[in-house]
Amino acid sequence: MKFMRLVWKNVFRKKTRTFLTMGSIVLVLVLIVILTSLLHALEYDQNAGGNRIVVQHATGLANFMPLGYRQRIEQIPGVVAVAPEIWFGGIWKDDKPENFFGQLSTDPEAWPKIFDDYAMPADQLATWQGERDSFIAGRELVNRYHWKLGDRIQIRGTYISIPLDLVLRGIYASKNETNIFFHNKYLENSFMGRNGQTGIYYLKARSPQEVQPVTEAINKMFENSSAPTKAMSEQQFQLQFVEMLGNVKLIIRLISLAVLFVIVLIVANTMAMSARERVTEIAVLRALGFLRRQVLGIVLMEAVVLALLGGIVGVLVSLPMVRGIVEGLKHSPAATFTYNFKVTGATLLMAFVSSVTIGVLSGIVPAIRSSRVKIVDGLRQVV
Amino acid sequence: MASLISIDHVTKIYRRGAEEIRVLQDLVLDVPEGEYVALMGPSGSGKTTLLNLLAGIDTPTRGRVMVAGTDIGRLSQSDLARWRAENVGFIFQLYNLIPVLTAFENVELPLLLTRLSRKERKEHVHTALGIVGLGDRMDHYPRQLSGGQEQRVAIARAIVTDPKLLVADEPTGDLDARSGEDVLTLLNRLNKEFGKTIVMVTHDPKAAAHAHRLVHLEKGVLVDAPEEAGHTRSAP
Repeated sequence: MKFMRLVWKNVFRKKTRTFLTMGSIVLVLVLIVILTSLLHALEYDQNAGGNRIVVQHATGLANFMPLGYRQRIEQIPGVVAVAPEIWFGGIWKDDKPENFFGQLSTDPEAWPKIFDDYAMPADQLATWQGERDSFIAGRELVNRYHWKLGDRIQIRGTYISIPLDLVLRGIYASKNETNIFFHNKYLENSFMGRNGQTGIYYLKARSPQEVQPVTEAINKMFENSSAPTKAMSEQQFQLQFVEMLGNVKLIIRLISLAVLFVIVLIVANTMAMSARERVTEIAVLRALGFLRRQVLGIVLMEAVVLALLGGIVGVLVSLPMVRGIVEGLKHSPAATFTYNFKVTGATLLMAFVSSVTIGVLSGIVPAIRSSRVKIVDGLRQVV
Repeated sequence: MASLISIDHVTKIYRRGAEEIRVLQDLVLDVPEGEYVALMGPSGSGKTTLLNLLAGIDTPTRGRVMVAGTDIGRLSQSDLARWRAENVGFIFQLYNLIPVLTAFENVELPLLLTRLSRKERKEHVHTALGIVGLGDRMDHYPRQLSGGQEQRVAIARAIVTDPKLLVADEPTGDLDARSGEDVLTLLNRLNKEFGKTIVMVTHDPKAAAHAHRLVHLEKGVLVDAPEEAGHTRSAP
């Protein structure tokens, strides 16, 4: 620690170079914090959102399943409630992204049992359950579009070729407030020959521990039927939309590693230049009695301090950026992932470890070289 | 008076590929404690190499260098570094101060290697800078000082650990006449008042005149100097 003042002053010896290098570290750390937070959102514990399960056709969402499955699924031990749901996928106003939100038909009687962590006044729930052309919406959606209870909205169908004309009867609060729910009955007799079928089943298991056995039981139950199923946790269901783009998590990890590697090269170059410029000074330190390992420690510490400073600034910059991204995504189809898109303690720890790693990896070679400077060579002016 | 430095049949050879460059040849030299020696000779005569050997920053190819009773050729790299920190003060032609550190911090550098507390280090630095007459320039950076002042800070750095031996390589070589004279006066004072043994390489006869003894080197061999030639000899 006695050498910290020397380390600190050496870090800021060439201010322009230091700040430019720090700037590149800041950018990398911002990127890493954002990507790590995104990874965290994608890897969100499948049980953390409750014990909900989604069942879809084994071949994909384009294929539907018989409504008759409902009764059979309800018989599986550990199942609390089941609701068939259909993704309506219609257009409200226009097809601009800011006007996009999820539209799901459901069974209003089963819905509160499945989404028991969603909060909604009992009178609103009862009204919705009693009116076939009503819907409920998340508070975030209601605020975004300035809806009020009693407002009517019209949604144009896309792959389901009927329009929806719905009245808002309830506002729910939850982690994900970007969907509306309306009656399955609204779609009955108007669904292009798919009567008696549903897109997915949403169900609730009694406990998180029962999610796995229930999904296995469902898949086994229908494996030899004409419509085999793929049951999964709610989180896995949501994740598959992201993974339609490819192995997103792997891509994110590879990008993170690539930027880390690049920044190590950049900082290593800076440190090498800095050390090369100071060969005589380092020789003087050695002549004064500094040990090789002390010189090594000083130069290495300079790289670590530089990287840590960049890391700290990077994290400070990334915090509001992540909040901004979350706000932005709330108005997009990826809104589902925003409720767990945040900078966690683990992410901050990872940023700290990344900074130290950048410092050590970029500083080690210049530090070793500096520690091996021959005093008589370094003091060329003297020799 | 007992010898502080004893150079016993020292040869130094540098190898450049297959070529051998014999810089010092079978050199014998004793420097008593408290003596002020000027090393003179033409360029390439081996003055600085000799200075480096007795300061412990280079090692002889053959022979033995004893300083203050220690055969420094037998010390490991780490022990030699510690030995230098305790026993030798360096004064360079171009001062070699660390530009990002203040005068105080430059002088404090060698003390960071000791077990002294911060308060004790501060006292030592104040004393050293006081001796060189720069007590009022402690917070100045090297770029804010004149060449003479920089060299005096370097001298303060050299004496702050109170070493027995000061080695100076052309300490006035980069200074104007007046600043050079101030530095030489300071070295005289360090020798007389504080008993420092000083070995100084110089090309300047006026600077050499301040020393007790002149040692002349030519082609790596000591040649008799006019003054007190009995102190120096070159082995046959």
